[in-house]
Amino acid sequence: MITIEGLSKSYDGTSFAVRDVSFRVQKGEIVGFLGPNGAGKSTTLRVAAGFLGATAGRITLAGHDLVTEPLKARATIGYMPETVPLYREMRVHEYLHYRAELKRVPRLERRAAVDLAMGRCRVVEVADKLIGRLSKGYRQRVGLADALVARPPILILDEPTAGLDPNQIREVRSLVCELGREHAVLLSTHILSEVEATCDRALVISKGVLVAEGTIDGLRKLSRSSAMRITVGGTGDAAALLRAQPAVEKVSEDRPGSYLVTWRKDVENTDGATEEVARVLVGAGFGLRELAPVKASLEQVFAELTAEAAA
Amino acid sequence: MRGFWPVFKRELFSLFVTPTAWVLIVVFLILQGFHFYLMVRHFAQNPELSVDQGPIQAFFGESMLFYLPLVLLCPGMTMRLFAEERRSGTIESLMTAPVGSTGIVLGKFAAAFTTYLVMWTPTLLYIVIMRRAGEVDWHVVATSYAGVALIGASYLAIGTLMSAMTESQLVAILLSSLVILGLFVVGIGEFIFDPGIVHDFCSYVSVWGQMSELSKGIVDSRRIAMDLSVVALALFVTVRAVDAWRWG
Repeated sequence: MITIEGLSKSYDGTSFAVRDVSFRVQKGEIVGFLGPNGAGKSTTLRVAAGFLGATAGRITLAGHDLVTEPLKARATIGYMPETVPLYREMRVHEYLHYRAELKRVPRLERRAAVDLAMGRCRVVEVADKLIGRLSKGYRQRVGLADALVARPPILILDEPTAGLDPNQIREVRSLVCELGREHAVLLSTHILSEVEATCDRALVISKGVLVAEGTIDGLRKLSRSSAMRITVGGTGDAAALLRAQPAVEKVSEDRPGSYLVTWRKDVENTDGATEEVARVLVGAGFGLRELAPVKASLEQVFAELTAEAAA
Repeated sequence: MRGFWPVFKRELFSLFVTPTAWVLIVVFLILQGFHFYLMVRHFAQNPELSVDQGPIQAFFGESMLFYLPLVLLCPGMTMRLFAEERRSGTIESLMTAPVGSTGIVLGKFAAAFTTYLVMWTPTLLYIVIMRRAGEVDWHVVATSYAGVALIGASYLAIGTLMSAMTESQLVAILLSSLVILGLFVVGIGEFIFDPGIVHDFCSYVSVWGQMSELSKGIVDSRRIAMDLSVVALALFVTVRAVDAWRWG
């Protein structure tokens, strides 16, 4: 559905915001575009949505080249920009009617299309409200309804859950999962767990370059705890006991009785190692107070992915 | 031209549900009402003037008060068109919709022009009032309003272009007022320079000369060509500017 080949974008002609990015998104697939802020996620999506022109490269949306057939290509996408820009002076249903007309939904089907989009995004109850008065969560959903209203085969969503509270995030994620069944969805995020929760595949971008294209399982493995926080009560040298474990690479005590245990890289089964450590500590008479996995930060994951890509 | 209708309707909607259009129209009508009153009083006190001229001619063709409001009100109508869309980011959703730049520009321009015509409509009452007091030359009325439409179209086209040049409505209104005022001042050159190329040039671009002719019922196709060229050029450049944003 989305085919991007050798995309580069430069704003000033010398430095590149995105350099030589290529990927595909198939129908029925949700692809997460993952990267830290300023990595070139939004630029790539803006180019893919036809808002910005590519400095080099070719973009094909549902078989239409974005340069030679711009209107046909843009008709196949529903795009939600990062800031979710909306006209504040319009009411929700007025805005969606306007967008449906702009996207050439035939007059007779427009009402049904707007109602359907409002229903799916759960904005029916605010249909008569001014957009300027809506909360951030509702505005986000109106933006999503706008992207859906013409039922495009492709959805491009730029950070669809940014600025939402946990409940709203869950709702938006489940909606995206639902949409992924019938559309090709490309969404960007800087949150690793979001990709895990919603996407089938992830593209990792860093400093404008695609550093890794991973399955979710691969990412899950990377994001799984590589370290463990252990707090014990009782007297004795718990650190020495921990260091003696075969799976443990390093132990550091950051405050009395509280240790940060790093697993060795080659340990596959960290769950088993965790259980073993707990057994040993309890067996030695220590009171186990805390046993918590420390999640790898996004930067660490990126570093590992980049290293993997280089190797 | 794709997208003309929805953009036109939304723009008009937006002008009239926000105070913008109403404020502009009210200010305009107060100023023109005062203006008309001055003209009528002037002619009522000097009956000997009415032999070869009337208040309607003077209203459209002779008075500064006809132009001054337009210098600010026309840019006021167009300042939001693109500047506001770019500031708030809505331009992103507009330009990723399957619409062409020509449709967007013409739709926005047409909405401003419609508002402009709506703003002038109540002044038709002045003609009705004049008709009660005496004879009205309908030919003069028709050419005068044609002149009003032409001048408005060119001012609004300039305003549309300036709105596309900046993200700030304030800068947009200032730039367009300056350009319009500049054109007006160039027209005054007609009375300053000795006969020659400069004099001729100034008299061609003079809106004052144009309205003074049209208010006497004289239709000079060169004037019309001048106005339409300004509209076409400004809108063409605007379309190119909108296209250029994609490559910024």
